[in-house]
Amino acid sequence: MAEHDLSKTIIPYLDRHLSFPLLTHLADRSSFPVEEVQAAQYELAKGTNMFDYAESLFQQLHPDDEPPAEFEEKRKNAVSTHERLQQEAQAVLDVIENPDVAQSLRQDKNQNLQYLKDNYNLTLDQITALYNFGQFQYSYGNYSGAADYLYHFRVLSTDNDLNTSAHWGKLASDILTGKWEVALEELNTLRDVIDSRSPASLLAAASASSNASEPALAQLHSRTWLAHWSLFVYFNHPQGRTLLLETFLSPTYLNTIQTSCPWILRYLATAAILSRKSASVGSAGAPVSSRVRNAIREVVKVIQTEEYQYQDPVTAFLKELYVEFDFEAAQRELARAEEIVGNDFFLVEFRDEFLDNARYLISEAYCRIHQKIDIGDLSERLNLSRDEGEKWIVNLIRETRMGADAKIDLEKNVIEINRPSLPVYQTVIEKTRGLALRTQALGAAISRTGQQGSGKSDNQAPAVAV
Amino acid sequence: MSSGDEAQPTTTTTAAKPAMSRFLRTNDSSSSSESESEDESDSDSDAPKRPSRPTLPLAGESDDEESDDEERPGVRIMSAQEKRLVEMEATGKVMENALKINDWVAISTEFDKLARMIQRQHNVAEPVPPFYVKTLINLESSVNTALGKEKEAKKKMNATNAKALTAMKQKIKKAVKEYEDDVKKYQEDPEGFERQYLTTITRDTTAPTAPAGGRRAATAAGEQEEIDEFTTVGKGGKVMQFTAESIFKNLQAVQEARGKKNTDRAEQIRILEKLLEVAITSYQRIRVLLALISSRFDYNSSVSTHMPTELWLSAQREVDQLVSIVAADLNYSIQEVTEDYDELLERSPTTENGVVRIRGSIISFVDRLDDEFTRSLQNIDPHGTEYVDRLKDEKALYCTICRAQAFYEKTKQDEPLGRVIMRRLEHIYSKPNAVVQALESAADASEIKPSMTLSAQGTTSALIHSLCVYLYRSGNSLLRTRAMLSHIYHHALHNDFHTARDMLLMSHLQESIHSADVATQILYNRTVVQLGLCAFRSGLIKEAQSTLQEIFTTQRVKELLAQGVHQQRFQVLTPEQEKAEKQRQLPFHMHINTELLEAAFLVSSMLVEIPLLASIDSEELKRKAISKPFRRLLDFADRQVFTGPPESTRDHIMQASKALQDGEWEKCRDLIQSIKIWSLMPEAASVKEMLAKRIQEQGLRTYLFTYAPHYSTLSLSLLSRTFSLPLRTVTSIVSKMIWNEELSASLDQSGGVVVFHRIELSRPQQLGQVIADKVGAMVDQNEKTLDIKMGGTGGWGERPDGNKGEKRGEQTQERRGRGERTRGARGGARGGRGARFSQGLGNQMPGHTSQRVG
Repeated sequence: MAEHDLSKTIIPYLDRHLSFPLLTHLADRSSFPVEEVQAAQYELAKGTNMFDYAESLFQQLHPDDEPPAEFEEKRKNAVSTHERLQQEAQAVLDVIENPDVAQSLRQDKNQNLQYLKDNYNLTLDQITALYNFGQFQYSYGNYSGAADYLYHFRVLSTDNDLNTSAHWGKLASDILTGKWEVALEELNTLRDVIDSRSPASLLAAASASSNASEPALAQLHSRTWLAHWSLFVYFNHPQGRTLLLETFLSPTYLNTIQTSCPWILRYLATAAILSRKSASVGSAGAPVSSRVRNAIREVVKVIQTEEYQYQDPVTAFLKELYVEFDFEAAQRELARAEEIVGNDFFLVEFRDEFLDNARYLISEAYCRIHQKIDIGDLSERLNLSRDEGEKWIVNLIRETRMGADAKIDLEKNVIEINRPSLPVYQTVIEKTRGLALRTQALGAAISRTGQQGSGKSDNQAPAVAV
Repeated sequence: MSSGDEAQPTTTTTAAKPAMSRFLRTNDSSSSSESESEDESDSDSDAPKRPSRPTLPLAGESDDEESDDEERPGVRIMSAQEKRLVEMEATGKVMENALKINDWVAISTEFDKLARMIQRQHNVAEPVPPFYVKTLINLESSVNTALGKEKEAKKKMNATNAKALTAMKQKIKKAVKEYEDDVKKYQEDPEGFERQYLTTITRDTTAPTAPAGGRRAATAAGEQEEIDEFTTVGKGGKVMQFTAESIFKNLQAVQEARGKKNTDRAEQIRILEKLLEVAITSYQRIRVLLALISSRFDYNSSVSTHMPTELWLSAQREVDQLVSIVAADLNYSIQEVTEDYDELLERSPTTENGVVRIRGSIISFVDRLDDEFTRSLQNIDPHGTEYVDRLKDEKALYCTICRAQAFYEKTKQDEPLGRVIMRRLEHIYSKPNAVVQALESAADASEIKPSMTLSAQGTTSALIHSLCVYLYRSGNSLLRTRAMLSHIYHHALHNDFHTARDMLLMSHLQESIHSADVATQILYNRTVVQLGLCAFRSGLIKEAQSTLQEIFTTQRVKELLAQGVHQQRFQVLTPEQEKAEKQRQLPFHMHINTELLEAAFLVSSMLVEIPLLASIDSEELKRKAISKPFRRLLDFADRQVFTGPPESTRDHIMQASKALQDGEWEKCRDLIQSIKIWSLMPEAASVKEMLAKRIQEQGLRTYLFTYAPHYSTLSLSLLSRTFSLPLRTVTSIVSKMIWNEELSASLDQSGGVVVFHRIELSRPQQLGQVIADKVGAMVDQNEKTLDIKMGGTGGWGERPDGNKGEKRGEQTQERRGRGERTRGARGGARGGRGARFSQGLGNQMPGHTSQRVG
């Protein structure tokens, strides 16, 4: 089981604090020896300011030994640091929380800073105290407090590097406190920051990920990290899966995944499978972009190209189903994939949904290719008993567009699918559908350039005359 | 200096050299030394280039009597001198005649001739003959009178003549100035001058007197040596003629003579070798070695031929020696730019207070050594044993490069280190493991080792990786590009297709390669081709086809890979172009077998194209969809009235393609597998097996496409039997075709059959579809054109529903997935790398470009 576990691969890309839930999950699943997981947890906790937690872990590990004295020392240190930082931060906070100040603050950060400086004698250094205190709070596990301070800091500060760092901190805090809505918002802004950032000023992100010297590399690193962190949000937020597809299938992130972290493909593949229903629902309700609609096709393509560097049952399932059309193998892979999904920290919630959707995909593909299907055979393909299978198929036919074409012949126990091929007229109409609109857009663009061009030539003409 | 009789004495002298020096040292007999002086005078008089006078073979001379010997040089030189004088006088005569008719053009040319003769005279260290001085004085006066006349009667002379006259005036002025002393002396006492001249020339040629003041130091020094020789030998050889003290003087003499027209290079090398023997201190040895190596490289001045192997070998040894001296004692450093220092003084770390800096450049020696090696391989017939023998020298060269690398690592000179590492990389990137191991083990044996060795890194790939990583880090972008390409090539060679492909795509080289130099473009082409072969070997037929297609559409594969000069049918190359082209050619052992390449390309084309051909039913589409090179061959094969048994690789493949079209996959397989060239491919057996499997699959697809209209149902088990594929594979292939809507059919599970739903389209319906397609293509084309016009990324088409943006996004994603294909298409759209490349090669090919456009 452990062979397909990704925790080990993912943890290096996570913050210390974000790894705790993962490890706890591992401990619960007991796919690794408990001692090892605990040791790992202890090692993690040792680096933070959460001594009590670390101490209890230590005691769990070595029930007989005395906890090391360094904890006491650290605790003292931490308490004094806390007080000092709090005092510093409090001064700023007092000012900011003053309703007058809150009202007079504007969009322009520089102006705000000037205002604070003039009226309340607040300097940039003092504001940085907010950041320091926020960071400190984060380090001992007071995530909501940290989120607060970092938020205030970001509103005021003009320091780009620290701002980015604060962004990451806030995102982590929001994730750890489980405020998914806020975290999602934070994630989006952070993504914008990374994408829009001119490579030169990415050093902050670089220092967070590694001491990479090259800006392009730093950007790649930040994107890799973001891809990992966002898993927390996307698999917990109700709209998350669709958003995940939207993000990860965009060319920049797809390239990031392909170059630096192909294992994310598992989550991409799972999300694509899960999105099946939302896609079909979406066609009626909220508009879903074509990227999500064609997610599976896209994902299959990527899986195929990356097959040489990453493969697991989830991706293998898609590959067998849509590349090889080997339904038996797909069914086998599905059984293994189900287990993996059930054990994965991010995916565990979606196990049933995953299975449901995967079955649907199989039967859809099966029905499209076959004309006459033995119900028993199909049920077997879906890992279902005969009765269950029949029920499932009836539901399937009812739910989907196939309704008109498929009939069940109970006597022979087969489904007959009669799909009239598309009339030629229809294909011609399909092909020519968007043409008028596209041509219009072309015309508009040309006339726009024409104006610009003539404007330019107007400007030039007098110059020549002179 | 390339006449036939020239070559003879030089080879004999070099051959006789070691024996001679031994003689000198042991003071055996005077005859040998005389034969040497003979030799010298021989070459001296030979220098003025008299093809009419045959040179005497040396062997015969050494047998001569002593008494004979004493006189002969004088006599011979006298005759030469006289001849020269006669010649001069003849010129003078012509000039006089021309003077009479006032033809200044003739005078000018004759005077030039005369001046050249005098120059030669100088080089053989003879005094200026009085005749010349006399002519000079005469000319000066007549020029002056002519000018005076000219002023009075303006319209008498034509333009060219007038020009020649003024030119003459300048020349005479210059010449008179140069020989001022002689002229003065002559004017004072013409007879005395003449007498003096006669006495000097009747004396021994090598007499140290210098009657002419304008003589150069170089010749004087050269003479000095000759005198030394004579004295030492005469005294009985107590001391050697070159002593440690006189080294710098000799060295300077040699250096000054370097590059002059009539310097005897073989002689110079010999002098320097002797100097090297006597050199004591490191400083002396470094200086002599520097001079010696460069004069060895100078030996062959013409660009077309290569350095003789013996010379090359000794140069290589000397570079080694130089490197080890400098590496052993860090107090000496060789730099391209140094402060000025006195060439004639001995220097040591103590006199210089630290590091002694000497002007010179080891890296350029190493570069030159490598270049000469390549050049010799280019010129030697690759099918002879000489080529193989020469190739064995690569080991020594590789060692030298490694030593140089170690030296630069030690002294931390980054710029030359990068260059030397590149050289090293170029020697190993395209070689199989066994060869690299052999080279590396030789390099390992030397006492100075670079930090990166095969034994330290473990595998060849790791070694190449570390070399490349160093070059990636160094700032030089050219080296970086080349290292990257070599690295990719290496990966491809070792069947690591995915890594190689990813590296190539991530490097974005295909966008910038057009602006690179020709050598890098060649390397790029080689890399791409190797990548294609790698894909073929790994069974990735589609990738192989699209990778190789680009280079095969140009039909100039050999030229693009620098493995042969393309025969231009309509235009003739100028000699310079041809020469440049020849220099670019790769040595034979680096070649990628083009026949194998073509076989790989055509077979993969066959596997891709034949099913495609079968799937398309309208003629128009057929014409468009097929790649040109394969299509052309297929058409040609179709037109053949009678097809005999296949002979060439192409015949095999064409007949195999036809068999595949007819559904006879077994025949196709047999034909393909009987191609002999596969034996050159590593893992030939597995490749053949892979091909057989592909042929089965594609045969099935082709069969279904071709014969589907004639069936309403078709049993899967029959298909499985016919193509001897497992039922599961058949089902999988059929399912795939149905899913991709290539085949309008469905499976009937209970009966185990494929049911075809074919609808015959009426003609208007077909036309309607075609029209719809065309209109769609037109709009696409328009959008593309506008895109280009707007500068690509300008978001003119961002419609509110965002469809366009997504489409573009999808395209970019696809780029990676189907990287190969996209790249091919992009190259085509730009007019092709071929077109750009041909510009780089200096020959335009309008035919090709228009073909692309059309």
